[in-house]
Amino acid sequence: MIAPYHLERQQKSAQLLDKLNALTKWHMDNCQEYKAMLEKSDAVQQVDTLEEVPYLPVQVFKLLELKSISQEEIVKVLTSSGTTGQQVSKIYLDKETSVAQTKILVEVMKPLLGSKRLPMIILDTKSVLKDRKSFSARGAGILGFSNFGRKHFYALNDDMSLDIVGLQAFLKEFAGQKILLFGFTFMIWQYVYKEVIASDIKIDCGDSILIHGGGWKKLKDEAVDSSTFNRLLHEQLGIREVHNYYGMVEQVGSIFVECSMGHLHTPSYADIIIRNPITFEPIPYGEQGLIQVLSELPKSYPGHSLLTEDLGTIHGEDDCLCGWKGKYFSVAGRIPKAELRGCSDTFQGGTKR
Amino acid sequence: MNLFWPENIAFESAMEQLSFYKPNKPFDQEVVAFTQALSKRFLRIRELPEIVALGYWLRKANIKEMQAAFEQGAAQKKVRARGTVFHIAPSNVDTIFVYSWMLSLLAGNRNIIRISSKEQKGLNVLLQIIIEELTRPEFQKIAQQTIICTYGHEENATAVLSSACQTRVIWGGDVTISAIRSVPLAPLANELTFPDRFSLAVLNSEIISKLNEKELDNLVEQFYNDVFWFDQMACSSPRLIVWSGDNQEAINKFWTVFAQKIQQKQYELMAATQVLKYTTSLVLATESVVGNLENGLYFSRVKLSDVPADVRERHCGGGMFYEYTVETLKDLAGVLIDKDQTIAYFGFEREELENLVDAITTRGIDRIVPIGKALEFTGVWDGQSFLTSFTREVIII
Repeated sequence: MIAPYHLERQQKSAQLLDKLNALTKWHMDNCQEYKAMLEKSDAVQQVDTLEEVPYLPVQVFKLLELKSISQEEIVKVLTSSGTTGQQVSKIYLDKETSVAQTKILVEVMKPLLGSKRLPMIILDTKSVLKDRKSFSARGAGILGFSNFGRKHFYALNDDMSLDIVGLQAFLKEFAGQKILLFGFTFMIWQYVYKEVIASDIKIDCGDSILIHGGGWKKLKDEAVDSSTFNRLLHEQLGIREVHNYYGMVEQVGSIFVECSMGHLHTPSYADIIIRNPITFEPIPYGEQGLIQVLSELPKSYPGHSLLTEDLGTIHGEDDCLCGWKGKYFSVAGRIPKAELRGCSDTFQGGTKR
Repeated sequence: MNLFWPENIAFESAMEQLSFYKPNKPFDQEVVAFTQALSKRFLRIRELPEIVALGYWLRKANIKEMQAAFEQGAAQKKVRARGTVFHIAPSNVDTIFVYSWMLSLLAGNRNIIRISSKEQKGLNVLLQIIIEELTRPEFQKIAQQTIICTYGHEENATAVLSSACQTRVIWGGDVTISAIRSVPLAPLANELTFPDRFSLAVLNSEIISKLNEKELDNLVEQFYNDVFWFDQMACSSPRLIVWSGDNQEAINKFWTVFAQKIQQKQYELMAATQVLKYTTSLVLATESVVGNLENGLYFSRVKLSDVPADVRERHCGGGMFYEYTVETLKDLAGVLIDKDQTIAYFGFEREELENLVDAITTRGIDRIVPIGKALEFTGVWDGQSFLTSFTREVIII
C-alpha cells in the first residue's frame, strides 16, 4: 500500500482521534481564547468519534490572532490570500509545526512525484517570496512545493507577463526529462494559458506533471471546469498530467490532492467531514454540504478541526479505483455570501460592485 | 445619473421644472389625495409585509391624526414648507425613502430622492406603483415637484443637489453620513441624519411566567416580527434582550416557544448566516463580559455581564441574541450608550418606563414601544419631528 494513503477507516480514525483529542487538550491548556470558546459553548473536549471533535469556523482566524505558543517561538506567520481591504487570516507556526508541515507535504506528494527532484517550472513570479518570515498563501504554497523540484524557473515576470523566451529555453534544456510544474489555478489560467493563446505560440512541456490549487471561483465565472482546464492545458502547453489540490492556509497538513481518477483524497493524518450547511449535522456520503477539515499537525495554533465555507461531497471511502485508501471527495465552491438587510450603507451598492 | 422620475427628460431640465411651482401649504389637498392613492395600492401588496405596513401608515385616519396634531401646534402661527428637500435613502430598507418623502410632501416641500442603485426586491414594486400614480393627471403638480433618481458615488450629483436644497436628509450608516457631510450644504439648509443605531428589548420574566399559552404565543409572534422582518438588521430590531426578574423557567419557555415560532413561520435559514452566527458567538466568547453561549438551529444566545460598545459592534444579525439581566428596569440605565435607539418592552408600567428614561445619563434611547412595534415608523424618529424639521415658522409681530 502507498503511504500516506494506506490506512483503512477503522485504523485511521482510531489513530487520528487520539491525536485530535490530545491536540484539543493541548490547545485548551495553551490558548486562552480557545479555552474560552470551548468552555463557554459547553463543547465536549474529549470525544469518542471524529464527528464529535469540536471545530472552529475558519473565519475566526480572520478576527482573532490565535496561537498556542509564546511570541518567541514563532518562526513563520502564514496569511491567507485576500483582496485589498479584506481581513486576512494569520496563522502562527513554531519550528515543530513548520517542520512537520514540510515533511508531510513531501509524503502527500510522493506517490505522484516520486522521490527524485524534477526540473521545475513555477507558473508565478519570484516576487511573491520577498518576505521570508511572513508568507501569503501563494508564497507558502510555492515555497512548500519547491522542495520537489530543482533548477526552479519562474515563468512569470514581476509585471505578470509570461517569460516565453525563458520558458522555451528551459524546456529545450530539459527536453526528454520529466518536468514538474506548479502554480495557482487562476494565475495559470489568466497569465499563462490566456497569454499563450493571445501570442499564438505552441508550447510542449513533454513528459510533464502539473500540480495546482487555490480554488475555482474565478474560473467558474468563465464557465471553465476541471476537465476543460486539463484538456486546454494539454492542447496548448502539452501538459500531460494535471492534479488539482485542495487546502487552506488555516490548516497546515490538510493538502488533499487528486488521484489518477481525479478525486481529492484524504491522507492518513488528515480527514474531512461533510456537514449540513444549516444544522451542521454530519450527512451521508454522496450528499453535498459544508466541508470540515481535520488535521493532526496544527500544534502551534488551534486549527486542528475547522469548519470551512466550502461545499463538497464525499464520494466514498477506501474503495477508490485508483487504489488509494481514505475518503475521496470533490469541492463544489463557496457558500453564497449572506446578504442581510438593514438600514445602513447607503452608498455601498453604488461603489462596491 | 439614472432618473426614475420624471420620465424621458434630462436631469438638468428636471431640476428646472422642479421649481416651477412654489412649495405647497402643509397638508395640501392634492398631496393628501396622493397619499391616499398610494395607501390603497400599497395595502394590496400582501406578499411584502413592509409595503403593507407603509400603506397602513399612510391610511386616512393616520394622516388626519397627523394633520390635527400639526394644526394644533401651528395654530396662530405661520408655518411654511422649507422649499426643496433632498433625501438620500438607505440601500437596504427599501420603504424608508417613501416615509421620508411623504412627510416632507405633507409639510409642503418639493422633493429630490436619491435611491440606492443596489437591487432590492421590494423597490421595483414600490417604484412601479409610485410612477403609475405620479403619471395620473390629478397629481400633476406633485409629479412636477418630484425627482427620483439614482447615481454612483463617483458623480458630483450629491454636491449639486446639496447646494440646491433647503433640507438634506441622510439615511445610512455612520460611514456614509461622514462621507456626505463632507459635501457642502447650502448655507441656509438644515440637515437630518439617521446613523447606525442599536436596539434592545426588555422583558419581565415574572409577568411572562403568568401568561397562558395563547398570550405567550401572541407575545412571541410580535417579537418574531420585530426581530426577523429585516433579518435583525434594522436599527430598531432588538439585538439585546434584557430580562428583569430571574424566572429561569419562564425565560427558557420563552425561547423554546420562540424557536417553534420561527420554525412555524418557515423563516429561511442560510448557510452563510449560520456560519456567521457560529463564528461571531465564538469570537465573543473570548471577551471577559461574555458568559455562556448557546448556538441553536434558529438563533444563538450570548449571555453578557456588561454591554460594552465593541460587543454591540460585533453583532451580526440573523438571529443573534445578547442577554443581560437586571433586578429592576431602572438598573438598565447604566449600560445604555448614545447609540441605543429603541426599547421594545413587555411587562412594565408606564411609570417604570418613565423612571428609566429619567435615569439615563447618555444620549441613548429615542423610542420605547411595546414588543411588536419596534419597526413601526412614526413622524418622530431618532428624537426629531419630521414635520418640524421640514417646515419653518414665519414670525409676524
